[in-house]
Amino acid sequence: MGFLFPPETDKWLTVLRIGLGLQVAVYALFLKSDWNYLFARTGSGLVSRDLGEAIISFDSPFIPKLGWLVALGGHIGIGEETVLSVAWACLLCAGCCLLLGLFCRPAAIIAWFLHLCAAESGGLLAYGADNFMTMGLFYLMLSPLPDRYSLDHRLVKTKPKDPQLLGFWRRVLQLHLCFVYFFGGLAKCLGSGWWDGTNLWRSLTRPPFNIISPDVLIRFKYLLPVLGISICLLELGYVFFIWMKKTRSVWLVCILGMHVAIGLTMGMYLFALIMIVLNLAAFGPDFGSLSLAYRQRFHAVFTKQLTP
Amino acid sequence: MGAKRIYATCAGVHFFLIIVVCFGGIFPLVAEHRTILPSALDKYARDGELVATSVLGKELAGSNPVRRAIATYLHAAGSQSGYGFFAPNIPGHHKLTLELYYHDGRVEYDSPHVSGRAAALRLDSLLDRLAEPGYEPLREVIVKMLAFSVWQEHPDVKKIRAIFGSVNMPGISDFEHGKKESFQPMFSFDFSLRNEENQSTTR
Repeated sequence: MGFLFPPETDKWLTVLRIGLGLQVAVYALFLKSDWNYLFARTGSGLVSRDLGEAIISFDSPFIPKLGWLVALGGHIGIGEETVLSVAWACLLCAGCCLLLGLFCRPAAIIAWFLHLCAAESGGLLAYGADNFMTMGLFYLMLSPLPDRYSLDHRLVKTKPKDPQLLGFWRRVLQLHLCFVYFFGGLAKCLGSGWWDGTNLWRSLTRPPFNIISPDVLIRFKYLLPVLGISICLLELGYVFFIWMKKTRSVWLVCILGMHVAIGLTMGMYLFALIMIVLNLAAFGPDFGSLSLAYRQRFHAVFTKQLTP
Repeated sequence: MGAKRIYATCAGVHFFLIIVVCFGGIFPLVAEHRTILPSALDKYARDGELVATSVLGKELAGSNPVRRAIATYLHAAGSQSGYGFFAPNIPGHHKLTLELYYHDGRVEYDSPHVSGRAAALRLDSLLDRLAEPGYEPLREVIVKMLAFSVWQEHPDVKKIRAIFGSVNMPGISDFEHGKKESFQPMFSFDFSLRNEENQSTTR
């Protein structure tokens, strides 16, 4: 039981809140020009929202969708286009509130709900980043908000949260990430292309991820198998080495480096950002205690030098 | 202590479901010979897939409350699918080309498009999904919608032929020998937009 409830400060929650706030805001801004086109009904959009929602309803009719909001708007005489625009604006506002730490809990719930509605209604157009955003927002809205760096805490002096409860939610996030990398790494190890560099070549040359010219890539062709195997081992080894004190920092830096590289070389900026945020919140250094440790060390060295 | 037990139990159930979903994503890869594992494991992978499907309640009737509760929870937690991105191998790239036939005999070429890069990634992911066998029943209706989105920009078009296919990218050695990407048509649909009739052909 102790493993699940280690006492923690709320600094990791600050990282998660600010990171997800940024992610939600960037997500909304990236999709601004296409929002209504992606989520409109039959006849005015790219792919009918009705189709995506019908497919989701096969799984369960209780999964939140934009159609609910559009129907609600219809009852009070608001058109579909307006409802979609308001939903987009609310999502952006929720992201900004999370960034600032204003109305943390309602903002987290609204961001989770609206993002989930968009991800499910546009299920045909969804990809991995959406699942990780939903996952992060799901944990954020259940975590003991507000954290002490939020505006909420400064405006209304809230009681300090139970350190064990804070530790529990961080542990849940940590365990979830371990499953993510373990199963992701396992699935990659089962493909022949990750062992000889073929898959890395294919992923970097296939549209729409072909940001780097193949003529440049071919110069590093001997490096591709090494990088492919490194990715497999990095993901598969995450579940073991991220827990050990000696290897944690190295593994975290390597994983963050991998996601930065994915973002820059494949143009998957949203995917890279959400993975960096989740990793930093789950296993990132405790910046406060780190600076305290440095201050103590500096103080010790300084006083030693001054002592005759 | 009581509250801690409740939290721990909820976490246990939560991660149990996630593990089942993850294995449910890996077993079909093994069963469909898409991995480097020997084919002797196919039978076990199929059995495992069945177990995962049953545990998630997918064998139950669509209206079953247990099935609906599990599905709703997994979607709400963002854990309804596994984490095998770009695994075990990189999926092929697919393209939809639209031939626009005008009344005056002109023929133009276009493809569905969006404004931003973030949305373009999503459109590409949809096209890649269309090639999967599971999407066969939806293929024609989705292609029709994509064709319709382009037709709205060209209202004087008489007929649209939508050609869907895979784009084969050259491997490392092929690229070194100067080989370029090639397009392999998979199926095509003809949409007559004036009279709302459509015909389809599969190649």
